[in-house]
Amino acid sequence: MSSAFELDPITLEVVTAGLISIVREMRATVFHTARSVAIYEAKDFSCGLFDATSEVIAQSEDIGAHVVPLPWSVQSAMAEFAGDLAAGDVILLNDPYRGGTHLNDVTLIYPVFEDGRLILFPAVREHWADVGGMTPGSLSGRATEIYQEGVRIPPIKIVERGRVNAAAMTLILANMRVPDERQGDFHAGLAACKTAERRIREVVARYGLPVLLAAIRQNLDRSEARMREKIARLPDGAYVFEDYLETFEDGRFEPLLLPLTLTITGDQLVADFTGASPQVPVPVNSTLAVTAASVFIALKSVLDPDAPLNHGSFRPIRVIAPEGTIVNVKPPAPAGSHGEIRKRVIAVMTGALSQVAPDLIAGDLFRTSFHNLVGGIHPRTGRQYVHYEWASGGNGGFAEDDGPSAMASIDWGDLNTVQPTEVLESRFPLRIESSALATNSAGDGRHRGGLAMRRELRLCGPEASYSVLADGAVLPAFGILGAWSGVPVGSHVVRQRREVRFTTPGKVSGFRMIEGDVLVLQSAGGGGYGDPLERDPERVLGDVREGYVSGERARERYGVVVGDDLTVDRSATGALRAELAAARFTLEIVSVNEPLYRAGAVSRRRVCPMNPADARRNGFRARDLVELVAPRAAPLRAWVVVDRKIRPGSVPLDPIGQRVLGLGPGARLHVRLMADTREGNRWRR
Amino acid sequence: MLWLGIDVGGTFTDLVLYDEATGDVRLEKTPSTPHDHSEGMLQGIRRLALDLARIGKLAHGTTIATNTVLERNGAATAVLVTRGFRDVLEVGRGNRVVLYNVKATRPPSLVPRSRCLEVDERTLFDGTVLREVQKAEVETLIDALTEAGIEAVAVCYLHSYANDLNERQTKEWLLKSAPTMFVSTSSEVLPEYREYERFATTVLNAYVAPRVRRYLGSLATKLAAGGLGTPVTIMTSNGGTMPVDKIVEMPVHSMLSGPAAGVIGAVHVASAAGYRDLVTYDMGGTSTDVCLVRDGELSMTSDGRIGPLPNKVLQIEINSIGAGGGSIAWLGGGAFLSVGPQSAAAQPGPACYGRGGVEPTVTDANVVLGRLGTSSPLGGEIRLDGGRARGAVERIGSDLGVELVPMAEGIVKLAVARMTGAIKEISVMRGLDPRDFVLFAYGGAGPMHAAFIAAELGMPRVVVPPLPGNFSAFGLLTADVRHDYVRTRLTGTREAELGDVRAIVEGLLDEARRRLADDGFADTAMRFDARLEMRYVGQAFELSVPFDRNLASMDDLERAFYAAHERRYAHAVPDPVEIVSFRVSGYGLVQKPALPRPLEGSVEAARTGERPVAFDGMFHTTPLFDRVRLGATAAIVGPAVIEESGATTIVPPDWRVTVDDFANLMLSR
Repeated sequence: MSSAFELDPITLEVVTAGLISIVREMRATVFHTARSVAIYEAKDFSCGLFDATSEVIAQSEDIGAHVVPLPWSVQSAMAEFAGDLAAGDVILLNDPYRGGTHLNDVTLIYPVFEDGRLILFPAVREHWADVGGMTPGSLSGRATEIYQEGVRIPPIKIVERGRVNAAAMTLILANMRVPDERQGDFHAGLAACKTAERRIREVVARYGLPVLLAAIRQNLDRSEARMREKIARLPDGAYVFEDYLETFEDGRFEPLLLPLTLTITGDQLVADFTGASPQVPVPVNSTLAVTAASVFIALKSVLDPDAPLNHGSFRPIRVIAPEGTIVNVKPPAPAGSHGEIRKRVIAVMTGALSQVAPDLIAGDLFRTSFHNLVGGIHPRTGRQYVHYEWASGGNGGFAEDDGPSAMASIDWGDLNTVQPTEVLESRFPLRIESSALATNSAGDGRHRGGLAMRRELRLCGPEASYSVLADGAVLPAFGILGAWSGVPVGSHVVRQRREVRFTTPGKVSGFRMIEGDVLVLQSAGGGGYGDPLERDPERVLGDVREGYVSGERARERYGVVVGDDLTVDRSATGALRAELAAARFTLEIVSVNEPLYRAGAVSRRRVCPMNPADARRNGFRARDLVELVAPRAAPLRAWVVVDRKIRPGSVPLDPIGQRVLGLGPGARLHVRLMADTREGNRWRR
Repeated sequence: MLWLGIDVGGTFTDLVLYDEATGDVRLEKTPSTPHDHSEGMLQGIRRLALDLARIGKLAHGTTIATNTVLERNGAATAVLVTRGFRDVLEVGRGNRVVLYNVKATRPPSLVPRSRCLEVDERTLFDGTVLREVQKAEVETLIDALTEAGIEAVAVCYLHSYANDLNERQTKEWLLKSAPTMFVSTSSEVLPEYREYERFATTVLNAYVAPRVRRYLGSLATKLAAGGLGTPVTIMTSNGGTMPVDKIVEMPVHSMLSGPAAGVIGAVHVASAAGYRDLVTYDMGGTSTDVCLVRDGELSMTSDGRIGPLPNKVLQIEINSIGAGGGSIAWLGGGAFLSVGPQSAAAQPGPACYGRGGVEPTVTDANVVLGRLGTSSPLGGEIRLDGGRARGAVERIGSDLGVELVPMAEGIVKLAVARMTGAIKEISVMRGLDPRDFVLFAYGGAGPMHAAFIAAELGMPRVVVPPLPGNFSAFGLLTADVRHDYVRTRLTGTREAELGDVRAIVEGLLDEARRRLADDGFADTAMRFDARLEMRYVGQAFELSVPFDRNLASMDDLERAFYAAHERRYAHAVPDPVEIVSFRVSGYGLVQKPALPRPLEGSVEAARTGERPVAFDGMFHTTPLFDRVRLGATAAIVGPAVIEESGATTIVPPDWRVTVDDFANLMLSR
């Protein structure tokens, strides 16, 4: 216990509420004074209050992807200027390699002093619509180096003792496309910080500095205690899991490995990404700030959704991410699109936690930000247009219920993911032919995942260009505890009733659409939870009645026979379930010591060697993607290797594989083809 | 003639009877009867010993539509929807309601997917009908609907705001084959674009309509049988009233029936007292409603919600939070102390009600502090038990190591912090300074906390109107008739002529005028208000700009938008602008009750005793006053407790209170 006095719980509560309210007022100030649409309409900005040790003490509640990484920026700036700050200084930065996210996210940090002592920093991070670089808007899927993504601002004092550093300001703005607007954004951030300073002084005047500081300390401490208590309930141990990001090297599929070792020791937790794929010269890398924030988002969403956001709950968590990998990118790799790493970090956290706390987690959610762009010249106006959409997909099923369909993920705050058809059609030469949930798209399970969204957009004008940047187009969101994966993300074009498919699913740049083409977009389905043969037949019936699952799928995956009168045929169902369970393809695990990975052009991937007879009998071919099912945790994905040396009926499994699946030598391993990816797998051969 | 206002709340049914000839006001309060609200109302009317034949006006605030949605016991409803779009209602905007929770689920839509039936029809954004609706298809659907026992149908077609032909046609065929079916089309309920919000609002309307129709129908019959000779009018969410026969077609307009009445009453009373900038603060047993009034104008919004479901009809912007007198104080993990949103409600009620409640509530804390007296029964019926209140507060205090009185004061402080947060959201967060507003406090628990809230926000003055405990019922008698009309038509200011804009507005004005004439209003008793929803080309959200009929050119219109944008966002650029929607409100002005005048009295005459009341950890011997005997211009320096039927006003130390010419208590410091 520190020597400082302890506040009574009511004063603590009231002062804490006051600090949160300061952050909300900062938010309102930015909102009212910003000049750019991204800020006052999309609300792409975040605010926070930090203490002298750079710990975040209060944040507003909005898009997690945006808010949670902010503390890393502040820490980086404070490391730069430790001991060299005075009243009237303001720090500006956007460098992803110095605690930032991507260059468009520009951060202002404003130290507040009281009696010559640094007490708090308000900080604002705003998405600036353009920070220079190779394309308007600065973000480009074609960037291979960060220099193409805009001006990099390391932590600098843009205002020093109240005087704006005009030279730096001029230089920065001269490299941006709409300098007036950016200046407006800067002033909006500054206004918010000044508002916060005024309010902080009011709190000090009312309660005194010692009370304010004690409230901050106690509030952080109790948040820390709360998180530690949640972690301590999990059994100690080191839990491993692995997943992949998707890239193509010269048109060949190249999965990038993302392994995680999650170590729980008492009330502490370490997330270690050692072994992650080296960074790549395409925009899927992310910074340590994004990686660490994603670990936190996953943990909070699983362990303690209701806790207020502050640094106390970060304290028991440590993140290890080796430099130069996709999770801790070093110059000069681009860092513009970090959303995919975020979702994959959440996935590996889910996989590892499934081994310790299966009751607390849900199946994997829809894998990707699914950026779709359709652009061309609008025939009505003669002007250029760009339609951008990012349909969400299914979330994972969990112990108590099915996953929700087509709903924003846990790292997206309350972002809208479906745009009104009536708005789109009045703005763009597009007609939306349908916008519906895709039947059979969810990962089947005792509790199934949520359904994917399927949208059909008809081009009603002359030619347009279509691009997509998505992950999860090959590897779908996994189910857990024996459940199936959802469908992967997909898009294709229907031209005069003929399907035009892409050879690099999820990565298409500038495909030429012609008038009358229908672009079909399907987001990912959510992973299920538990064995579908254990699903209550009445719930399966309900899904058939509501059209979420077809009658055929009900038989194949759930073993439920629905009669023409829309009732469950009990005896047929019992028999079919027994038959399906018996027919599952299993192999006997043989322990091998060497890790079962094969190197690709950049990274390595897990393989599943099997005897040709076993492969043939089950319709597997070399390089097919299969799922190794874990009855009590999350599955592994592997690529089939056909090998005569493997004893028929057996499958080698390395120590990591055994730990992930919770299965040892002699146990039967259920291996299944990822049937839903086969179609999209044509690129393979 | 007598005027009767009846506000049915979750806990109590409040009645206010006003005698037009004498200006006399009588109050009644009876427990609500949720199984059939008309029972409680009739009980109240009996207690007033009232001859219904003498009633010249009966205005009713009802929660029936809201409760039908919240309790999900509305009609078996089906939706007919454009082919390809059956999931619009289920998926909505694809957003997440509960952040950071892997186990969050989406609240189910009011109509299951299997009852959303697709129709092969299509209209385009410019109103062109691409595919006409086919009679044979609709008739097949009607058979299926009848067989499934469907009582209400929402017809929801794309772009029907631009051309309602297919929807109208469908409705006509439906009603012809199934005349008892309730049918709403999305173009009647909300002729605005953005399909999810329009469809959802239409479904709300259809879903509640049969139940609202039954309730109001049976109520009207009972009252007529009792001799009532005038139509009952229902308070609507936009602050107006509608006759029963109209509201049963558009019950979605009654979702804020009760809270709207209080706000309308507040504007009426405050403007007489000379205040045009106010924050209304209505604190009841389970929730608190606050609303900002600027220069006498209500804040309006079309971005409302009922529970998690969107309700996009134009309505008063009321910020509602789940904290009231019955809110429970509780401890979360890591010793986070909170008040609400769980409430002890009316059953079992706060611990001091002695009806089995054991959790400490805000009301219990006020009893411990001496702010709420235990000598006279609450609402005439509930006797408060100070021992039980102390026991409940002591228990949570011992968990935290806090003494009884600081604990009780802490609970009240946390409740006050929630109220100030709610008020900041509608003031500070909009760039408005609450110190420029007076706090207008009513509701059973409002006057008890108002001074503390005002102090916290630096608001200089609190107004407590007469009858604070029955204020919404009084407000019912002050509301004008109001009809709102809206058309969505995307119109670029640099492409269209002013004449086109004017023609659309005039069309809506004619519609409003005809409707008011139909309601029996003379031209002199009508008032109109026209607004345009405008935005920069490329923006996604609109600003509401008053339409001045004397505008000379489209440039003037653009300038009006720039000025509105400047006010809202502190900047504007001379870029192209578009009109999204046209709005017209028509008011039928009604005669308002005369405001009460203070009775004869004095501070001395009003003094009824004293008791110890805690402020800032110290008990002060505090005088008690009977409000009705205070007289005008009485000046009392706090601490003081002013009691009346239905509410208690606390005047903390360093506050003073006077009574103005309209019998309002004016607290200041």
